Amino acid sequence: MGDSQYSFSLTTFSPSGKLVQIEHALTAVGSGQTSLGIKASNGVVIATEKKLPSILVDEASVQKIQSLTPNIGVVYSGMGPDFRVLVRKSRKQAEQYHRLYKEQIPVTQLVRETAAVMQEFTQSGGVRPFGVSLLVAGYDDKGPQLYQVDPSGSYFSWKASAMGKNVSNAKTFLEKRYTDDVELEDAIHTAILTLKEGFEGQISGKNIEIATIGEDRKFKVLTPAEIDDYLAEVE
Amino acid sequence: MFGFSSLVVRMSSSSIVEAPPKGGFSFDLCKRNEMLSGKGVKHPNYRKTGTTIVGLIFQDGVILGADTRATSGPIVCDKNCEKIHFMAPNIYCCGAGTAADTESVTDMVSSQLQLHRYHTGRESRVITALTLLKKHLFNYQGHISAALVLGGVDCTGPHLHTIYPHGSTDTLPFATMGSGSLAAMAVFESKYKEGLNKEEGIKLVTEAICSGIFNDLGSGSNVDVCVITKGEKEYMRNHLKPNPRTYVSARAYTFPKKIEVLSTKITPLKELAQVVEAGDAMEE
Repeated sequence: MGDSQYSFSLTTFSPSGKLVQIEHALTAVGSGQTSLGIKASNGVVIATEKKLPSILVDEASVQKIQSLTPNIGVVYSGMGPDFRVLVRKSRKQAEQYHRLYKEQIPVTQLVRETAAVMQEFTQSGGVRPFGVSLLVAGYDDKGPQLYQVDPSGSYFSWKASAMGKNVSNAKTFLEKRYTDDVELEDAIHTAILTLKEGFEGQISGKNIEIATIGEDRKFKVLTPAEIDDYLAEVE
Repeated sequence: MFGFSSLVVRMSSSSIVEAPPKGGFSFDLCKRNEMLSGKGVKHPNYRKTGTTIVGLIFQDGVILGADTRATSGPIVCDKNCEKIHFMAPNIYCCGAGTAADTESVTDMVSSQLQLHRYHTGRESRVITALTLLKKHLFNYQGHISAALVLGGVDCTGPHLHTIYPHGSTDTLPFATMGSGSLAAMAVFESKYKEGLNKEEGIKLVTEAICSGIFNDLGSGSNVDVCVITKGEKEYMRNHLKPNPRTYVSARAYTFPKKIEVLSTKITPLKELAQVVEAGDAMEE
């Protein structure tokens, strides 16, 4: 009602105390493809659907999960191009940290800096918020960590989380199946089952992407063949 | 050099506008230094690596070698420094000249190569590192005193280049740089041939560095070698130590004769923190 008059300008609060553009950005995220992450006792797994607009698209050229440093990776729900920009900025920040302190950036620091970038775009003139929510998975001296970053710039640490289209079903499913001492292999199976819940069509190694980081602290995106193996195990 | 791109210009009431530098190098001090040395003022001695660095291409890849002495004027300030710098998993760079310059230039380009690898998803090429280095050095017109031997193996094969402080480069099958380069080049010119295998290559590189170590005052101490082949690298730190310390005392510290040790008490520096579980339970 009164809100709609304030929905055009990002940098103006509405009378109810909301920044309507950010709400709309969250809606953009909510209509993006489902992605989820699970923190295990000895690692983290992140996964996403990879539904391409047509069978003619070369699916090997699309990579939704990206690594930011050798031990931190990220997946998104929402607008792909916005994600690319954030990945580029985050990688540069991680590299600058490394040059200054000669150590790999801790996961919390990178998440904080990425969130700061996303917040900047909610308080500047002439720009719009990023239409993505990120799930950042990493393993550093504090152990395995999973963070979600929203378009507003707020971030939370999660044991397991989901974003995108099927978020409420996925979260309920995860709540039921999550245990604190789950191991990485079981977590991968749980991730696949959660994706399967809301998946339209036949699930295979070519239309989902999974990445893990274990105690070796190396972020690894699984190949379609490896995903097919896990799918066979789950059946 | 993390320069800010935003300029904040404050207008003070005395109408002198003070604009902070825009970022990047400011050449004002170079002019001042030239003016001072023209008036006979000696500039302070900075740490140079006065070095012997070499590289050669052998049948499977590239071998780089360096000595380990760093000098500050006539004084040896580091007897075992590292002159072979990491650029990429398949590219290493030896540096001669001012130690700070070689360190920071190779560090900076290594960082840029890492970002480029993330962006392209491919292994870095030696020619990329070469171009980034020479562009940077040319921009500073030789004021960055870094003479480099860059070597590596990428998808197009093994490559070896030399880079001079002003930004010119050479592509060679064998190369030497630094104050000991003449001594090392003499060894290469007489003994290098194409198609060397790994042992012969390492032996030749070690000989060339030793020639620099023993015949040049600016080079000394030990020999570092780095072998880079397709898909793997071997960094042999202190591969050869031809200058060991001749006398090292085996005794620990002893008090002078007249002092008797009455008691010994060792206090650990870290005290264990005691967590006191105190307080009553919260009232419901």
